[in-house]
Amino acid sequence: MPNAGAPDSDRLKDEAALVARLAAREEAALREAIEQYASQLHRIAYRMMGDPHEAEDIAQETMLRLWDHAPRLIAKNSDASLRLAAWLKRVAINLSYDRLRIRQRISAGEVPERVDEAALADARIEADEAKQRARNLVAALPERQRAAIVLTYYEEMPNSEAAAVLDMHLKAFESLLHRARAALRKAVAEAERSMLDQGGEV
Amino acid sequence: MSERDTLGGPINPSDPADAVLIGALDGLRVPELPSDFADRVMLRASDRAAPLPHLRKTVRGPVWRSARRAALGLGAFGALATAAAATGLLDDLPIELPSAQQVWSTLTGRETADAAAVPPATGSGSDPAMAPTVNEPVVIEGPIDTPEELEEAFSRIDRVRDNRKATRRGRVDRQIDNVLERRREQGLPVPNAEQEERLKQALDNSRTRRDERVGERIEQRRDGLRERIEQGEELLPGEIIREEQRGAGNPRMRERIERLRDLPPAQRRGRLRQFRERRQQRREERLDQEPQQGEGATGEAVEADPPAEQPVPVAPEQAVPSPELDPPEVKPVLK
Repeated sequence: MPNAGAPDSDRLKDEAALVARLAAREEAALREAIEQYASQLHRIAYRMMGDPHEAEDIAQETMLRLWDHAPRLIAKNSDASLRLAAWLKRVAINLSYDRLRIRQRISAGEVPERVDEAALADARIEADEAKQRARNLVAALPERQRAAIVLTYYEEMPNSEAAAVLDMHLKAFESLLHRARAALRKAVAEAERSMLDQGGEV
Repeated sequence: MSERDTLGGPINPSDPADAVLIGALDGLRVPELPSDFADRVMLRASDRAAPLPHLRKTVRGPVWRSARRAALGLGAFGALATAAAATGLLDDLPIELPSAQQVWSTLTGRETADAAAVPPATGSGSDPAMAPTVNEPVVIEGPIDTPEELEEAFSRIDRVRDNRKATRRGRVDRQIDNVLERRREQGLPVPNAEQEERLKQALDNSRTRRDERVGERIEQRRDGLRERIEQGEELLPGEIIREEQRGAGNPRMRERIERLRDLPPAQRRGRLRQFRERRQQRREERLDQEPQQGEGATGEAVEADPPAEQPVPVAPEQAVPSPELDPPEVKPVLK
């Protein structure tokens, strides 16, 4: 992120100025916002959904929501208290929740993996297997625990910021994160036992 | 550290127990965004309709703010209404505004005080045009110390007395006509036209003589009052009223009423009953005799004893004022 190292106050001023330009329907500002935030939003959405197409849709819809709601954001945060990055992450997380719930309603079962019929090298096969294991590991978590792991482990956000993104109190978020990590460890342990029982390796 | 804390603790890369977990999580690599992602977003943004304008905020606020608005509105309305009333604007509009007394009378069912109100006759500077012209009691306010004020009071009293006298005489005439009509319907003897005319003439003569007698007495009393004014004396309203009543009353009748008042109640009732019986007997005899008198009958008997205007001595608690001799109600009101 370009402004990751900037002081907090400067970063807030930059964000507020960017939203003001968006509210003025300045297309260059939207392109600038895409360059700054879209890749992170895409990452979050991908790890929440496990699907690149849905992740791309969520990132795109999040940026369009910013384009639409910029005047309202300026009006509601006239005291320069707007945190644009946190607002965008919250929108992306909420869109992910919506799609996950829709997915659960449409198909209660697992979506079968598409069979790759192309001739693959062993290394790629191993990478795909590792990716699939990680995807299954994260996908097994409830959506809120999944969001907590995505924000703190993958995005390396402090607990306080992650709690703000999820609109939770810090204590509640830490409890949620605790349960998420415990669930992950438990799942990994069970997978290890299962592999040992089958004579393979994790 | 409990098992739960161990399971839910932070993921530590240096911890061998978490190495497997980290390896598993790190396997979830994210593909790159397409290179045309920004262009596609810009294209969709340009196709997107402009956001709707903000809805105007509904007027909601603390109760005290609404109350203040209501109070200001009421105050403004009151000021406008007062200004309109003060400038006479309401008089130009075809709006009938009931007075507070009228509203009160509709609520209580009583007559308004306006019906009984009497314009006061002030001691000085009163306008004759404002003098009462109907049968309303004359009110004299304050002492009278000039001949003009005294004459004004006399003229008002006379006007009221004349009006009252005309009203009562009209009522007596209607009663006579009703009696004659009733007798005609019952087939009883009634005077012919000439006799009736003579009777009415006699009645008028009797009334004229009575008016002259009363007028003389009143004038004597008034002369006494005029002399006192000329001597620089102040007359209280009560004195004027008292003198008027004495002048208008029949001294002989007054003496008889005073004597009746002094009697015990049972004896007084007996005397009154005897009087009514005698009066009724006289009326019947007179009505029986009149048609038989014919052309030779004189009006003297009728004139001497008019049937409907004979003063009746009654007890004070049953006193009904004689229609002709009763003086006008003159109520003194002292300032």
